[in-house]
Amino acid sequence: MEVFLLFLVIIGLLLIGVPIAVALGLSSILFLLAYSDASLASVAQTFYQAMEGHYTLLAIPFFILASSFMSTGGVAQRIIRFAIACVGHLPGGLAIAGVLACMMFAALSGSSPATVVAIGSIVIAAMRQMGYSKDFAAGIICNAGTLGILIPPSIVMVVYASATDVSVGRMFLAGVIPGLLAGTMLMLTIYVIAKVRNLPRGEWLGWGEIWASFADAAWGLLLIVIIMVGIYGIPGLTGAIFTPTEAAAVASIYAFFIAIFVYRDMGPLAGKNGGRRISLLQNPKALITGFFHADTRRTLYDAGKLTITLMFIIANALILKQVLTEQQIPQAIAEAMLSVGFGKIMFLIVVNVILLIGGQFMEPSGLIVIVAPIVFPIALALGVDPIHLGIIMVVNMEIGMITPPVGLNLFVTSGVAGMSVMRVFRAALPFLGVLFAFLIMVTYIPILSTWLPTQVMGPEIIIK
Amino acid sequence: MSGPEKYAPKSALAGAMHSFEVNAIALILGAMTVITFVNVVLRYGFNSSLIWGLEVVLMLFAWLVIFGISHAFKITAHLGVDAVTNLLKGGPKKLVALASAAACLLYAVLLLKGSWDYWAPFAGSYQTTGRWFPTGIDWGTRDRAFYVTEQIPMPGFLRFLEGWINQGEVYDKLPRVVPYVMLPIGFALLVWRLVQATVDLVRDRRESLIVSHEAEDAVEEVAALNRGA
Repeated sequence: MEVFLLFLVIIGLLLIGVPIAVALGLSSILFLLAYSDASLASVAQTFYQAMEGHYTLLAIPFFILASSFMSTGGVAQRIIRFAIACVGHLPGGLAIAGVLACMMFAALSGSSPATVVAIGSIVIAAMRQMGYSKDFAAGIICNAGTLGILIPPSIVMVVYASATDVSVGRMFLAGVIPGLLAGTMLMLTIYVIAKVRNLPRGEWLGWGEIWASFADAAWGLLLIVIIMVGIYGIPGLTGAIFTPTEAAAVASIYAFFIAIFVYRDMGPLAGKNGGRRISLLQNPKALITGFFHADTRRTLYDAGKLTITLMFIIANALILKQVLTEQQIPQAIAEAMLSVGFGKIMFLIVVNVILLIGGQFMEPSGLIVIVAPIVFPIALALGVDPIHLGIIMVVNMEIGMITPPVGLNLFVTSGVAGMSVMRVFRAALPFLGVLFAFLIMVTYIPILSTWLPTQVMGPEIIIK
Repeated sequence: MSGPEKYAPKSALAGAMHSFEVNAIALILGAMTVITFVNVVLRYGFNSSLIWGLEVVLMLFAWLVIFGISHAFKITAHLGVDAVTNLLKGGPKKLVALASAAACLLYAVLLLKGSWDYWAPFAGSYQTTGRWFPTGIDWGTRDRAFYVTEQIPMPGFLRFLEGWINQGEVYDKLPRVVPYVMLPIGFALLVWRLVQATVDLVRDRRESLIVSHEAEDAVEEVAALNRGA
């Protein structure tokens, strides 16, 4: 009963505009002080341990940093050029290329809003020039952008892995097939719509353009290879080379070198005001100044800022988790559910509903920290695979991001496209239907998520 | 990347503090990345490692976040739900914003007490009494100044701590008083920034404490470009 009150306080605080982190933290602290023996000092300790005691979460700042270096306009532009070269000649080509570009960019960044901003700001304008309606363009980018948290690396997956002690590597692998499937479903839908409505198609630019654009984008796309090979090793040759956290740090350093010394969109070698980029030979001292250049500092600061706001939420969600565990809430809910005779299917539906509603109000990472420990033991008791559960949760978050009133991607797209949130939502609705069908597939066909990790890393050992 | 800056320092001192905060955040994250990377290189290239590497990185991670919370409040970067508050205007909107500031202040004050109570024994100092708010000094606090970190070596310039808090006994590793010191500093800064934010709310210099999503700056930049085109 008191716990019910706790959640009411959280929602109340959220609605009057208290930051998510403080709403979670304050209500948990009040609850702990009123109903348990925990002291404020132990809360401070929990807060500090949120960072110091979670090696897995350490991957978050590094993935954010890598994607900040890669989020410069130049990299998105190169990826879009490559995507257009590949599929631009199909009916609805530019729209399909937009989805493909979102998929590739999602693999460089772990965040959906970042994907929408980077790809959307270029593709939506380009589609309008080609004669697509603004609504169609915004609807596609809004949906495809959500792939950012499904296609690895994904910050939300790191948080899930940390909250439930499953392997980050497994979660990343599990996202690959669903990610490709969701992208393909979106592209097929566009293709059919394009056939029916006779939407414009681009010209086939030849294999030369595919090769040239690939060579140009390759430095950026190689980041994915470094992360994946680092975490899993080269099949048949080596075992894992890095932990996911180390892979993220190596990826950050790599992204820094590519952004400063190869692409030169930023840093000491960038052309000022659209001028030509400078070669390293002309300015060799850039090897030193590159590390301290204003652009480098700016990127580090931006990534640091995002890390701070995310981790502030996660740390407070961990305080709430402490409350829930102390009160044995997960066990109580599990017992209630099992005694009513909920089977696997009913349970998964309940999880879907909780997350769809929760996703309306909460930042995805914070929601995972709170919901995962509650549903995880029940899932194990019912024989649901932990990896499968993780993917279901991520896909639910995706849908939560594009449903009003508080869908994150709706806001971002509405800002990028200059349309009202409701208009973006109406535009996104047909493709939202596709994602919904996808959610049902992912929920009831576990092998979509579990096949690849089992193939690469062997069968999973579940410790109850 | 460099979005339009919403925060503009009002005095030379505030400007200096702001650039210190920005540079500290960049430097801490940069150091974390480089140390982790160097450790990977050492492991594969030279079959050795900085044994203290991981512990230092995790400490810096905690410092980054705890130090940065107040900064993020200052520049209004924390995420929240603005669907309801955006429906309000004028007086009611201000009232609700002030209520949310009061909630944040309560949170900060409670955690400041918690941080002090957690840190003080490691500094050979005294905890406060009282469950909710400090009511006095607990002279019976058990001294924990002898606790050290697991691997981090003791830097020479901190040797004075031995005389100050450890009865002159030599520290062979960095004492825990150092990593945890960021807790009281961070939350004291948070209380200070929240008092400032509340004053700004009262004087109508700011409207709320939150943004609705992490990409707000970047989106504004793109929207500005769209208007220009």
